[in-house]
Amino acid sequence: MKIEQLSDGIFEVIVDDKKILVTHNLCPGHSVYGERLIVVDGVEYRQWDPNRSKLSAMVLKGFDIPIEYDSHVLYLGAASGTTVSHISDILTDGLIYAVEFSSRTMRDLIMLCEQRPNVIPIFADANKPRSYAHIVEKVDVIFQDVAQPNQAEIAALNSKYFLEDEGHLMLSIKSRSIDAVSNPKKVFKEEVKKLEGAFGIEFEILQRKELDPFHEDHLGVLARLFVDENLKQQNSFKS
Amino acid sequence: MKIVAWFGRLTISENGKVEECNLLAKDPELLAAHMLLAAGSEDLPPYGLNLRELAIDCGYVELEEDYDVLLRDVCIRAAKRQISMNDADDKRIIQAVEAMDDIDKAANELSERLTEWYGVHFPELDLTGESMARFVVNFGSRENVPENHDMYEKSSTSMGSKLSPLEEDLLRNFATSLCGIYDTRKYLEQYIISNMDIVAPNLTNIAGAPLGARLISLAGGLEKLAFFPSSTVQVIGANNALFKHLKSRAPSPKHGVIFNHPLIKGAPWWQRGKIARALASKISLAVRMDVYRGKFDPSIKEKLERKVESIRKSYPKPPKKFSTKITPPGPRKARNRSSKRV
Ligand SMILES: C[S@@+](CC[C@H](N)C(=O)[O-])C[C@H]1O[C@@H](n2cnc3c(N)ncnc32)[C@H](O)[C@@H]1O
Repeated sequence: MKIEQLSDGIFEVIVDDKKILVTHNLCPGHSVYGERLIVVDGVEYRQWDPNRSKLSAMVLKGFDIPIEYDSHVLYLGAASGTTVSHISDILTDGLIYAVEFSSRTMRDLIMLCEQRPNVIPIFADANKPRSYAHIVEKVDVIFQDVAQPNQAEIAALNSKYFLEDEGHLMLSIKSRSIDAVSNPKKVFKEEVKKLEGAFGIEFEILQRKELDPFHEDHLGVLARLFVDENLKQQNSFKS
Repeated sequence: MKIVAWFGRLTISENGKVEECNLLAKDPELLAAHMLLAAGSEDLPPYGLNLRELAIDCGYVELEEDYDVLLRDVCIRAAKRQISMNDADDKRIIQAVEAMDDIDKAANELSERLTEWYGVHFPELDLTGESMARFVVNFGSRENVPENHDMYEKSSTSMGSKLSPLEEDLLRNFATSLCGIYDTRKYLEQYIISNMDIVAPNLTNIAGAPLGARLISLAGGLEKLAFFPSSTVQVIGANNALFKHLKSRAPSPKHGVIFNHPLIKGAPWWQRGKIARALASKISLAVRMDVYRGKFDPSIKEKLERKVESIRKSYPKPPKKFSTKITPPGPRKARNRSSKRV
């Protein structure tokens, strides 16, 4: 079987003439949510279904994934850990802080964490980053999939706290959570605009694409925290 | 700057170096308990810090790996604790709501007593409740009211009898206890507000925290509330009338606690019944969402708002028989008020 690496830890294999996305299974023999396990050259991989995971859809839609083997990632809206488990596969030398606030899904997430040494569960409300500022350090990447009306604000707040200078934000925006009746395109435009500066923090939008046909009315966004070089120099003179 | 981190309390300098540290023992259970307590602390870092570096700087751990292993262990324990607390969260809300009722009763009684007693000494003081209690705590005898105070005029010309030092002491003590009760009430309120969002986010979004909590308490739990049909939700809290209705099929009472919702309170009377029905049905939906799905769905509220808007548009004026004639003074015809008003 032919296997090709698309980016750190993310592979594409061709099975029965179909290209499928996989990650290298960190817990061999275990399937997390019923996904298929595939062995290539004696190494076990897990199928990564783009219909189940926004991040997988983003890979297939051609996003440049900023997650590296040794990244530290903050994941907001971890749910039962479907996507988290694949990021955990990628981060052979990294770490993922998984924030979720529903107790029902948290139970599954904790079980996942117990199997995977690089996942740290945090039961908290992503609207209140300060309530976990005594736990989470600065991270390289923030991934957010919370499906809340104030998605842009949650992303900005958390980036202010935890994103390294020039760190990356990956965001899935669900238009129906924000405004169930307006045209999704219009909602997307407004949300992206907010990211460009509405919350006292600026992002440079690197890529934006809708995630159809895998997820209808969802926009994927890849952005980089914009750091004002002048300001930074001034600060470094001071200290 | 003093901050709390999951592994201890630190004082850090402007350039981010550790100046002083008070580290916790490396006992994962203890660290988990501390982690949860610290989440409500005033000393939480005001911005993200490189906690890992700080932990190594102050010698808490030697290697980055040790940091990861310990932190993960503690976070898993903390999350487990939170979940087991969460399972009974609606029971806690009920306790808090009932405690608030107890407090209101007690506060009323004590404040009446204070007003009466202190009134012998300073009958002109026209304060009540909490402001009265704070006044007594601050000044004791009215002779201590300073010249620049609003009450100075009244206090210096008061007809009240003098307070003995012993009595002043007593009254101050009494008022201090009462203030403590008012403070506890505020904590309880805050507790309810911050927990309702977690226990029942959809219900809270529709009804607001105080009313939502009241509904959970009256129903005896979130799941019980989810089982009620919306016609019952509409009358929850119309106490005796409700039980009569359930037992003997007497006509259903119309004024449950949901009539305290701003959407109903702010509406003219002829729309209230209709809005109450719409509100009750969306509350039912929201509670079921909270219990069975555990997901937040803002569209319930949007639908409610649209429904209320359409009620406002469809019934802009009171029904004819009440509005066209202004009833002249004098004997009125008896009319059956309950038949047409919904
Ligand atoms: C669409 S699901 C995420 C699915 C997940 N990202 C995956 O691919 O496996 C959204 C999740 O965000 C959680 N969520 C919503 N608002 C949140 C908040 N303010 N803080 C933490 N989690 C939140 C919800 O409980 C839900 O589990």
